[in-house]
Amino acid sequence: MKRFKSIILAALAVFVVATYIPVPSASAQSSSALSIAPKKNYLIEPGKSVTDKLVIRNLDSQQDLKLYMRVIDFTYTDETGTPKLMLDETEPTTWSLRPYTKVPETVTVRPNSSASVDMSIKMPAKIGAGSYYSAIIYSTTAPDGGNVGLAASGVTLAFVTVPGSMTEDLTLKSFGAYNPTEKKYTNFTVNEPSVIAYTLVNKGNVTEAPVGTITLKNWFGQEYKIEDVNPSKSLALIGQTRTFQACIKLASADANFKGTDAEGNTCVSPGLWPGYYSANLDIFYGQNGNLTKEITKSGYFWYLPWWFLVIVIVLILALAFVIWRTVVMIRGGSFKIGGRPRTKSRRRR
Amino acid sequence: MHHRVPRLHGAFFRFRTLFSEELIALLLVLFVFVVPAGATTRFENRSLLMMSTQPSVTTTYQLSLDYMSPEPVGSLDMLFCESPIPYDPCVKPAGLNISQASLVSQTGEVGFSAQVLSDTHIILSRTPSMIVGTGSKSTYTFSNIVNPSSQTTSFSIRLKSHASTNATGPLIDFGSVKGQVGDGITIETQVPPMLIFCAAEEVADDCSETNGNYFTDMGNLSKDATLTAQSQFGVGTNATGGFAITVTGNPLTAGTNVIDAMQSPAESRAGRNQFGINLVENSDLGVGQNPEGDWANAVPTAAYNQPNRYTYIQGDVIAASPNVSLMKKFTVSYIVNVSPSLRAGVYTTTLNYIASGRF
Repeated sequence: MKRFKSIILAALAVFVVATYIPVPSASAQSSSALSIAPKKNYLIEPGKSVTDKLVIRNLDSQQDLKLYMRVIDFTYTDETGTPKLMLDETEPTTWSLRPYTKVPETVTVRPNSSASVDMSIKMPAKIGAGSYYSAIIYSTTAPDGGNVGLAASGVTLAFVTVPGSMTEDLTLKSFGAYNPTEKKYTNFTVNEPSVIAYTLVNKGNVTEAPVGTITLKNWFGQEYKIEDVNPSKSLALIGQTRTFQACIKLASADANFKGTDAEGNTCVSPGLWPGYYSANLDIFYGQNGNLTKEITKSGYFWYLPWWFLVIVIVLILALAFVIWRTVVMIRGGSFKIGGRPRTKSRRRR
Repeated sequence: MHHRVPRLHGAFFRFRTLFSEELIALLLVLFVFVVPAGATTRFENRSLLMMSTQPSVTTTYQLSLDYMSPEPVGSLDMLFCESPIPYDPCVKPAGLNISQASLVSQTGEVGFSAQVLSDTHIILSRTPSMIVGTGSKSTYTFSNIVNPSSQTTSFSIRLKSHASTNATGPLIDFGSVKGQVGDGITIETQVPPMLIFCAAEEVADDCSETNGNYFTDMGNLSKDATLTAQSQFGVGTNATGGFAITVTGNPLTAGTNVIDAMQSPAESRAGRNQFGINLVENSDLGVGQNPEGDWANAVPTAAYNQPNRYTYIQGDVIAASPNVSLMKKFTVSYIVNVSPSLRAGVYTTTLNYIASGRF
């Protein structure tokens, strides 16, 4: 009887627990609308640490935003600034911040609210000077149901510079007029160039953001100066071959972005005249206490639009016609369109 | 009329001896090879060590350089500007103050005294004397310099050496050193950069709402028909580096059976195993939409920007913007085709759309 009672009680307990205690399920809906900081920069001496707060905002007005956080490594995808996220890598890269970074595993943000999440980075005492970087990824829960499920994640790129004596080595690979659509340099173009680019190979152990100017000069000595060759403060990562693009003429537009002012920049037509252009690059790079290095390079391009080529061809034909006519006249003949030139000997006859 | 032309020709022909081929060649050689007499060289091994890189603090700067020209030097000109280029207009770095700077030590080429001319200009002067060992290091240490306040803009010291004691007359060597402040905690601009992202079956243009549906049931697979679906994501950033959207996740699978992803953009063909996506309007299957929003710089990447052609490679960047791009909405089209030999099962996947900043 006692045994029967205990079985009944146990069954009742299981029923109560199953009925009244919610069990988290994969189908529990979470918001997938978030706002985060895209990039963080820190300067940390060996053996020291920093603590910071990551602000995450849930843009959804109805559902909680539940995020899983972890630190992953990244590298470059190509010659641009697009990161290649190393989601499945287990071994940290040589520039990884993973071993030194602490973030919470999960965070829940109420609808239309923000949360500040503590994070810390502690660099070892014997770590070498240079750049270290990783990415903090915030992932939403995977849905349950259907053939194709969607999950949204955000990433903050975190960069640490450890001061000291670094290996800084940028090599210039290419420089000149650049077609951003085709991702190609060109020395001859029929379309007006709006972008001048330079490609640097970073063989050092520190990320580099060069500064400097580019000067263009046309046939007549007219100058076009690009005063900021790296307006986005873009970086060449360790080992990366990076193409930096600069507009010959930049147009800025102010806009409102979620209640804050933002400035958008676009390349616009610089109004170049057709012809030959020389281009001179003068850039500097170097970290605090290390050598300031300078790279200079000269290049050129021809801008010859179709309309200009047509005019030139017409002029050449006209000139050829005039020369031919002059030659005929010098030789003593007379010119007659559609007929043979009369010669002196003919006239004598 | 005709007799005048030969006469003109004869007149010019008389000068042929003055412009012989040899003379023209000589002029060309001179034009190419003659080096300007006043050529200058750059200081080598230039560096700037800021004892503190905290913005707006008073600290000590140590300037190092190698003089390269074996000539008498009477002054070293130091101009603090944002741009390192000598011939650019000098814009004072915000917050920098050198008015109280004093030269506290010097090594290598010594004997200089400092004279602060303005809030961006210092001249080191001495009795002109020959550079003792060209290519050897000289250092000059200055105290009481207030760091610039901007953590996003670097600054430079433009350097010139002269024979005169007041940095006038012909320059001998020149060059610049670069510096930047950063406070060890974090570098923030006045408006913190934000990256906004949302994904669902349907999203509002500004990510303020989604329809709350994060999966799509595409129906029953058939060898005769293409299954389609679509979802949306919105993205925007005020960060100067722009954004990138990466997609991860396996193609549709049921146990060990996989519907192959299309490895390059191709048309949808019923009866073949195909799983692909794109981010534009597709007239053939009536699915998808072109990106919506004013910012033209945020675009699908080339492989996912082709109407009626689909692809899917896990880890691909499917959309990006190279710089500031406020909100833009993208519609993702999914297509699935199966061959008759595909094993029966419930084929599913979860695609993870990852929004990141750029560097």
